[in-house]
Amino acid sequence: MSMQKSSQEKERTTKRFVLHTASILLALLLVLGLYIAYLQTFGAEKLAHHPLNQRSAQAEAEVQRGSILDAKGRALAQSAAPGERTYPMGAALAPVTGYIGERIGSAGIEGRANQDLLGRTEEMNRLGPVAELLQADRGNDVHLTINADVQQAAYDAFAGRRGAAVVLDATTGAVLAMVSCPSYDPASVEANWDSLSQQADGPLLNRVLYGMYPPGSTIKPMMADAALTEGVTDETEIFDCDGQLDVGGGQTIRESHGEVHGKVNLEKAITESCNVTFGTLAMRLGGKKLGTAFERFGFTKELTGDLASESAHLPDFKNLGQGDMAQVGIGQSSLLVTPMEMALLASAFANHGTVMEPYIVQSVVTPGGLTVREGTQKKWFDATTPERAALIDSYMEKVVTQGTGTAARVSGIRVTGKTGTAENAQGKDHAWFIGSADVGGRKIAFAIIVENSGGGGIEAAPIARKIVLSME
Amino acid sequence: MTPRKQERAAGLRSGRAISSTRMSWGLLGLSFLLVAFGLAVLYLRKPESFEFLALPWLAAVVIVAALLQSVVLRAHLSPWLLPLALFFSSVGVIEIARLKPSLLIPQLRWLLIGMAVFLIMLRLGRQIVGLTAYQYILGLACLILLALPLVFGTEIGGSRNWLVLGPVQVQPSEFSKILLVLFLSAYLADHQDVLTKTRRWLGFFRLPPLRFIAPLLCIWGMAILMFVVARDLGSALLFFGIAIFMTYMATGSRSYVVIALAVFGLAAVASYMMFGHVRVRFDIWWNPWADPNGMAYQVVQSLFAFGSGGVWGTGFAHGHPGLIPEVHTDFIFAAVAEELGLIGALTIVVAYGVFFIVGIRTALACTSVERILLAAGTSVVFLLQAFIIMAGVTKFLPLTGITLPFVSYGGSSMVSGFILLGLLAVLSRKEAAA
Repeated sequence: MSMQKSSQEKERTTKRFVLHTASILLALLLVLGLYIAYLQTFGAEKLAHHPLNQRSAQAEAEVQRGSILDAKGRALAQSAAPGERTYPMGAALAPVTGYIGERIGSAGIEGRANQDLLGRTEEMNRLGPVAELLQADRGNDVHLTINADVQQAAYDAFAGRRGAAVVLDATTGAVLAMVSCPSYDPASVEANWDSLSQQADGPLLNRVLYGMYPPGSTIKPMMADAALTEGVTDETEIFDCDGQLDVGGGQTIRESHGEVHGKVNLEKAITESCNVTFGTLAMRLGGKKLGTAFERFGFTKELTGDLASESAHLPDFKNLGQGDMAQVGIGQSSLLVTPMEMALLASAFANHGTVMEPYIVQSVVTPGGLTVREGTQKKWFDATTPERAALIDSYMEKVVTQGTGTAARVSGIRVTGKTGTAENAQGKDHAWFIGSADVGGRKIAFAIIVENSGGGGIEAAPIARKIVLSME
Repeated sequence: MTPRKQERAAGLRSGRAISSTRMSWGLLGLSFLLVAFGLAVLYLRKPESFEFLALPWLAAVVIVAALLQSVVLRAHLSPWLLPLALFFSSVGVIEIARLKPSLLIPQLRWLLIGMAVFLIMLRLGRQIVGLTAYQYILGLACLILLALPLVFGTEIGGSRNWLVLGPVQVQPSEFSKILLVLFLSAYLADHQDVLTKTRRWLGFFRLPPLRFIAPLLCIWGMAILMFVVARDLGSALLFFGIAIFMTYMATGSRSYVVIALAVFGLAAVASYMMFGHVRVRFDIWWNPWADPNGMAYQVVQSLFAFGSGGVWGTGFAHGHPGLIPEVHTDFIFAAVAEELGLIGALTIVVAYGVFFIVGIRTALACTSVERILLAAGTSVVFLLQAFIIMAGVTKFLPLTGITLPFVSYGGSSMVSGFILLGLLAVLSRKEAAA
């Protein structure tokens, strides 16, 4: 009896110690569970996006990327199998298509529409594993607003010179061409990365969106608009140009090539690109009103999304001396703008004072034919009134018919424009030409710059002509 | 008690019995569904590389599992042990089908062998428990089995813990742990009085005379030897843990635990200083980012798997667990975490917890110290082993190669797992009914 009792006693104590041990081990398991929970929630982001984690790159490599197509359905980039990529139009379209590579990252549509080309959407990323049900082996096709013919014509027109050209549909905001020279072959970027990325003339730089240039005289249409809007002049005022303008402090502004325009009204000042007139007007406007004008024409706005870009570097308008005001009036001083911004400025006068938000992706279509994203025409902002836009537009038409931009003239087509010859620190002047044309049933606006080449009327205007001809 | 009350009590009891039977069948069915869904996903994802030849094997596994389950239920054994083990096996089967399709049939074959061994254990169970009468022979056998690979061992995957017997590679440590549990429960139950009552103060510790703890010291020494010579850090840790926990369960003495931990700590420090491979393991754990593409590659890739998996996982067969070397054995838990997310990983963790609790409840229902220790020790083996490898692949502890019970690919691990499961099942028999 006592033996049994003592053995029962022993069992009871043993069971107590078993329970102790069990609780310790379960506590350990609980701590491990909590640690795993941390690892896969708060700690997950860092691990998932660690540069050495090849999982997302591998997942991308397993998808056959969708094609990039132009407005007429021609392939600009396509994949026959996962991991393969060809660019049928090569360097001419490189600023549009961009490139993608495991080690080099991505640029252009390849980078900006990467999720589309992989067949993913923002919503899918939030679905987690359920998204796999929707994930196809082939990505979506991205249809662009780009017209490859226009792009090719503009690219060829540069003939090896450095520069950029952008063509927009002024009524919709659709980007029809986006040329940047020199360019590169998108298919071999990864192989030639070291030399391409170190080349002094920057072939990898998309000059349309990221090239920063002084606008020179191409800013004058905006200055005319600002002067009329603020009431510092009218259409009838006569300016007397003796070839130079004293801006105080012993500084003067001169006409290019030592020209003297004599007595000019505002229209004539635009067509002849008279520096004295616009220097005078800018000084009359003063820093604050100059700043308002740049704001009104969207130079302080930022483009985001597929066309995300650099925005203008503007001088400090509050602390602007007389000399700098006059320089801003002729597009110099510390003012730097992108070709895209200048094309949008041109589009304002071509489209009744309204600037449409530029877009390049027309639609994203799944392999099954379903449209999952569509580019829409959207009003971006009103730069000026329709009446004033029509007036400036008529001045710019005169620039092409009888002024500095006659090299852009195309018989039978209404072309408007403004030349620019921008002084810069790099060397010879940059040649500019911005304007618009009624061609092929649409209203196009464009901006062209040929770096360090000379006069805008001689170097840039002929490229505009070729662009207009290619639109027919 | 009035007859009506008695009736109601009986009704409640039988009602409970029916529902737990049903639930255990349900759990078994769930595991089969898991495999069916898993294989369906694999087929839909890559029909061309689907292992159709595995289907007959799978059918055999399902039939044998169902038969075993009815045998277990008819013998009034715990209804939870087998379904839980088969749940782990199902996870293992679909993961191996996904990670290494060529090993699917071998794994199913090992599963069948494991279940056959389980059946044998049920038939011979009482004799096996009776083996504990020959405790010193068990202890000796355990030591010999441990020593075998040290002498005749072949090095596979950096650890010299394999015996190559013709076409079969055996990991003796997987089997010696069974002998260890049998030996320890017999020895500790037998010497409980000596170990607890004849203790004298020895410095800060209360210990019995040396001759009584000599066998325990032997086991510890062996574990340390494995640690150092066979480079089998995982098994060494497991053996050490089993010895400590079982000693504590038998004696309730913290002195043993403290001394054992101190010895372990000293051994760890000494081997860190003396042996390169130990130092490497530790350094990898301390800072894997120092050499993420070299020594720490495996652990870093495993961590990436956990991170990329996140809460919901990438979806089964949609992740990239193949980036982790040896993912189908030691790192199978990382594959689960990547593709099934935190949800899947915690399910596994919780399932091992539940399995452990079932084992401990079995121990608490036993009626002799020896059986209590045997059941509790067996449960500790499963939990500790699962803990060591899950903690290793998550960098919670330094990584030590060891299999995840029933889930990882491997014959030795599968068969030894089913032997221990059989032991636990035999011990869960209601002694009144037996």
